[in-house]
Amino acid sequence: MDFHRTLHVLIVENSEVDRTMLMGMLSHGAYGTFEADTVSTLKDAFAYLSQNHVDVVLLDLNVDDCGGITTLEKMNSRFPDVAIVVNTGSFQDDLGLKAVTMGAQDYLIKGSYKNYGLVKSLYYAIERKRAELELQQALKNLQETQGHLIRVEKMNIVGSIATGIAHEVKNPLATILYGIEYLDTALKERNDKIDLTLRSMRDATHKANNIIKDLLDFASQSELFVTEHQIEDVVDHALNLTHHQCEKSGIRIVKEYSRDTSRIKIDKNRIEQVVVDVVLNAILSMHRDGVLRISTQMKKFQLTDLHQMCDDRDVIPEGADVVIVDFDDSGAGIREEDMPHIFDPFFTTRRARGGVGLGLSIARTIMLNHKALIGLSNLPEGGARARLVFPVSGGG
Amino acid sequence: MDRKKILIIDDESAFAEMVKLNLEESGRFLVQCESNPHDAVQSALSFFPDLILLDVIMPDIEGPDVVAKFRDEPLLRNIPIIFLTATIRKDEILDGGGLIGGHVFIAKPCSVNELISAINSQL
Repeated sequence: MDFHRTLHVLIVENSEVDRTMLMGMLSHGAYGTFEADTVSTLKDAFAYLSQNHVDVVLLDLNVDDCGGITTLEKMNSRFPDVAIVVNTGSFQDDLGLKAVTMGAQDYLIKGSYKNYGLVKSLYYAIERKRAELELQQALKNLQETQGHLIRVEKMNIVGSIATGIAHEVKNPLATILYGIEYLDTALKERNDKIDLTLRSMRDATHKANNIIKDLLDFASQSELFVTEHQIEDVVDHALNLTHHQCEKSGIRIVKEYSRDTSRIKIDKNRIEQVVVDVVLNAILSMHRDGVLRISTQMKKFQLTDLHQMCDDRDVIPEGADVVIVDFDDSGAGIREEDMPHIFDPFFTTRRARGGVGLGLSIARTIMLNHKALIGLSNLPEGGARARLVFPVSGGG
Repeated sequence: MDRKKILIIDDESAFAEMVKLNLEESGRFLVQCESNPHDAVQSALSFFPDLILLDVIMPDIEGPDVVAKFRDEPLLRNIPIIFLTATIRKDEILDGGGLIGGHVFIAKPCSVNELISAINSQL
């Protein structure tokens, strides 16, 4: 604590006598320098605090527009970072102690303190508030780190299971496929039913194999083959791949490409995979005549660009040049309760329709491997936005 | 035309049998299956194949260890070997030009045509 620094105090007090007395005590000067202002209502206090830096508030609980512990609660919820010393009437120790348990840093009983006692309490409150805030921040960091570790651990487990499953399942799949191929060439008697049976069996086997391939994709941290691309070209190519599904579902694509996005260093195939996945998700969330609006832009990255959308935000430093691609659909949006889980492996809202729940977690892994970000959010006008953020100088 | 002799070493005997059926159906190959990798050298010495299809991951012995045994045997040393693997994706193998560490790899499952062209490329 720097005792030579001028401390800014706001006195919230409805008694003019008390206000004058407190101002006098603080201007005494023997125990530090104070710059104090007074207000007599909570409303004026809020207005003052929004405009000025204040180190500590000396708060009378009974002001003109509020009374009792509610005064403290309102102050605390509106300005959680400011230190508060509650200044209560005589014989109100109970109220003072209650105030301390409810977020005040200290309390004083009017008439029972002199200059030194007041100043000491103010300093104490400021220090205690600082320690509380540090503790809160430390706890928050700890919880974030813990969440991150759990996620990493989960990924590792999925990874090792995936590789194991891949081997065990691919062998029987290969056997079935070769069985089908043999029957296809060796069967002399053919008719529509036999052809349909063989075709269905082959399709089903390929589908199962694709799921295994997804699992391996998810597990693999394999090297990226990075080259420079214009993101719009990559998106267009991915759109060609999904053209059929768009037509079938009656979805219209609207492109709003920026003309000035920089080329970025990416593994084209991997990023195409991400775009295909995002587009397919959007298609599945929309009814017929839905619109998928795809826009690109170039900007300096701000954390708010991924508002509540993902917890990997520190992958890209604030202020870095980024290329952003948004996929805004006109579908039902994402349910709030699903939001924390959308990137979890095996989380899907389409299990009944054959979803495995790996697409987005693979997409996220691919993006992180590029030191790039993917986020999802709901749009205010309805529908969901998938946002891809690529650092311009980056490239895994 | 002389049929080429292929030895398949894979503990998944059902898989090996299906490969055998398909390859023999093409009329160009004579195929023998060995499901016990420990007997691989013995089988090869009696069958004397033109090419060996070898599974990579098998219980208690891995494909590369089987290769080492072949290399120790002067009569088998020069027989081309193609690895079959279920643990690597097709595109990873293609990215390596079909080779990993100098060996030809094929990802399971692959089509019969892909398998036959890989075999032909080594004969």
